[in-house]
Amino acid sequence: MTAKTLYWLQCGGCGGDSMSFFNIESPNLADLFSYLDIEVLWHPSLSRKSSSAHRSLIDDLLEGRQPLDILCIEGSIIRGPGGTGMFNTFEGQPKKNLVAALAGKAGSVVAVGTCASFGGIGADGDIEATGAMFTKTKKGGFLGENFLSASGTPVINLPGCPCHGDVLCGALTALCTATKLPLNEYNVPLQWYGLLVHQGCVRNEYHEYRVEEKDFGDKGCLFFHLGCRGPISYGPCNKLLWNRRSSKTRVGVPCVGCTSPDFPQSYPFFHTRNLAGIPLELPDGVDRAHYMAYKAMAAAAAPIRLKKRETEV
Amino acid sequence: MASKRISVSMNRVEGDLEVRTEIKGGVVTDAWCSGTMFRGFERLLVGRGSYDGLVITPRVCGICSTSHLVAASGALDMITGARVPPDAIRIRNIAQIAEHIQSDIRHYVLMFAVDFTNRSYKGQALFEEAVARYEPFKGSSVVDAIRETKRVLEIIAIIGGQWPHSSFMVPGGVASIPNKSDLLQCSLLLRQYRAWYEQRILGCSIERWQEVKSSNGLDEWIEERQEHRESELGFYLRFARSAGLDKTGRGTASFLSFGSLERPEGTTVGTSGTKTLIPAGFARAGGINGFDQDKVSEHVASSWYVDYEGGRHPFSGETQPYATGKENDKYSWAKAPRYEGHSVETGPLAEMVIAGNELIADLIRKEGPSACVRELARLIRPAGLIPAMEGWITETNGGGKYYADPGNVPDGKGFGLTQASRGALGHWVKIKDRVIQHYQIITPSAWNFSPRDSGGSRGPVEEALVGTKVRDPQNPIELEHIVRSFDPCLVCTVH
Repeated sequence: MTAKTLYWLQCGGCGGDSMSFFNIESPNLADLFSYLDIEVLWHPSLSRKSSSAHRSLIDDLLEGRQPLDILCIEGSIIRGPGGTGMFNTFEGQPKKNLVAALAGKAGSVVAVGTCASFGGIGADGDIEATGAMFTKTKKGGFLGENFLSASGTPVINLPGCPCHGDVLCGALTALCTATKLPLNEYNVPLQWYGLLVHQGCVRNEYHEYRVEEKDFGDKGCLFFHLGCRGPISYGPCNKLLWNRRSSKTRVGVPCVGCTSPDFPQSYPFFHTRNLAGIPLELPDGVDRAHYMAYKAMAAAAAPIRLKKRETEV
Repeated sequence: MASKRISVSMNRVEGDLEVRTEIKGGVVTDAWCSGTMFRGFERLLVGRGSYDGLVITPRVCGICSTSHLVAASGALDMITGARVPPDAIRIRNIAQIAEHIQSDIRHYVLMFAVDFTNRSYKGQALFEEAVARYEPFKGSSVVDAIRETKRVLEIIAIIGGQWPHSSFMVPGGVASIPNKSDLLQCSLLLRQYRAWYEQRILGCSIERWQEVKSSNGLDEWIEERQEHRESELGFYLRFARSAGLDKTGRGTASFLSFGSLERPEGTTVGTSGTKTLIPAGFARAGGINGFDQDKVSEHVASSWYVDYEGGRHPFSGETQPYATGKENDKYSWAKAPRYEGHSVETGPLAEMVIAGNELIADLIRKEGPSACVRELARLIRPAGLIPAMEGWITETNGGGKYYADPGNVPDGKGFGLTQASRGALGHWVKIKDRVIQHYQIITPSAWNFSPRDSGGSRGPVEEALVGTKVRDPQNPIELEHIVRSFDPCLVCTVH
């Protein structure tokens, strides 16, 4: 079997998805590429090629002399101003042109992070940022809703700001072993995004009994007042954990919903919009009347140890 | 004599940077640095909730997101008049140092030293060893650095939830409540990182290294033991000197630090009587002066923004993109920040010059600033920061107060200044009716990679490139060393 080739294209992003990917362990980055027999043709933070050698690599890719198995896109596709793409150029030309050209050659395309998947930061701004096949929740994005890579698959979206390194590691492994990844309506693999951020949070017991915090710095749940989106957002943060150690919600930082197609939300962070004291947005799929009854009973049943914040998180 | 223009698109930088130079007779006669991306953060923050900078601004940069969080929470501390508890200051400092000490090593091994494997060094004495150490994905130092640097970031996850992109610092302190066992875990992780840093990067204990206080002392240190010569630091010095990096990339020779790592009340870390561990200051022509944020301004004469006269302080700054313009007149999405009108360098070297580090002062007195001493400063910075971090972890109570409610955010303005891994970072914020009315950010790489200002003065990197001899314009490795010695972070620059 010949090595799979990978090209990493950085667009309108912060480099955070790369940084997150560098954090993987067991295997670490260098071992992962070796085990999967991936030849990294280019990664902007790691490659040695001079700019002229990089230019010829791109020419070879576009003219088919160099096969491209996997294209990873990090960052949004910047279309502004006025659709020209001149807010983000590569050697004087809009970088979006390069995205389209390389995507047309790649066996598989992976959108790494929320910006590449859905536009993310800047999707509402002057830069007219978009994801590869979605703009926020709307299908289409930059490549169009009917885009299929050479292997006949749409862009695989791996959202998160940043994307969890283990998720990318898993997706690359699936691609290299021809393992099929079931996707949801946003082309996101259910394997990692079929569970809520809330699941596995160490504050779950406080949540259960509606022991809620109104301010930072204590052990209770952050959902009712502090804007936590854990029960609404899909992602593996509290299963895989970050840097193998913890997660934002575990340490008392409300989930900001960074895996959601509409991240960043249009209303203020750290504040829960509510209706008669109950969050406006309820845990996914929950009926309002039942939820209100359940929460009233839960609060009444709350044990003293939770009310007194004695149970550790 | 025929002149030749060459363009270098930089890889191994965070973001998009293109450098153009004009070369006559093999010498760079002029240079232009272009940030080639605009993301519009300052504009998209306006109109958002007063705390939203805590979530949005870390996303300016995937590599120094913790420092952006320090600046964003610092600005809100000022506006709310928050009284941040001493242990919260310690937790903020611990996280920021963890970010620095991984970044410094990753930059050297993964970004800077890779250039030592460039084909132009083939045949030279240290080339084979450089390849064995720094070849992408395979070199022994590369594999080591990838493995070890990510471990120290676990500290930020323990006290802040994740790295990169947490939002755990809030006005009034931190949202997290690390207990004593969390802090013990942090101290074990740091202990492990110190051991690796001493063994692999320095080749000696931090204490032994700190005895090196002059260029003679440095030469003696290299000769003293084989471990010193073969450490990353020893190899770096031998290679950099043989490649002449100590004679290239001087720059503007003026230095700026915003100061950072506030010393909490009652700490024994740092010098008593000082406000911050890393002092603020401005150094130029041998003198070190105090720093005053009123003297900061940004110019847009060469930047793709709607023109205004001269420079503006960030509280009156504006960001109105204007993508067209005359060729060579406007050429970057980075603005041109100036201090008292001067083009200034920032970063670890600037911090050490301003702090009066004896070794760095002696090297600069003898050799002047150079690419070599600039990268040296980065490689040895953890030797100063690790003991401070150990001190703050030990001092943190683990059951104490991490947060003091600052109340509602009143109308007002404030700034948060710090030293990110690459240098001076500031957020200038105005709030009205609990909504962000104004947000201006100046990043370290905006200082270093700035284009020309309204007076036509070059930015520090542009200045550092002029006069450099280039042997092979097809492979301008000399220029790459200089550019990379400033550790470019262009995603920050073109926020």
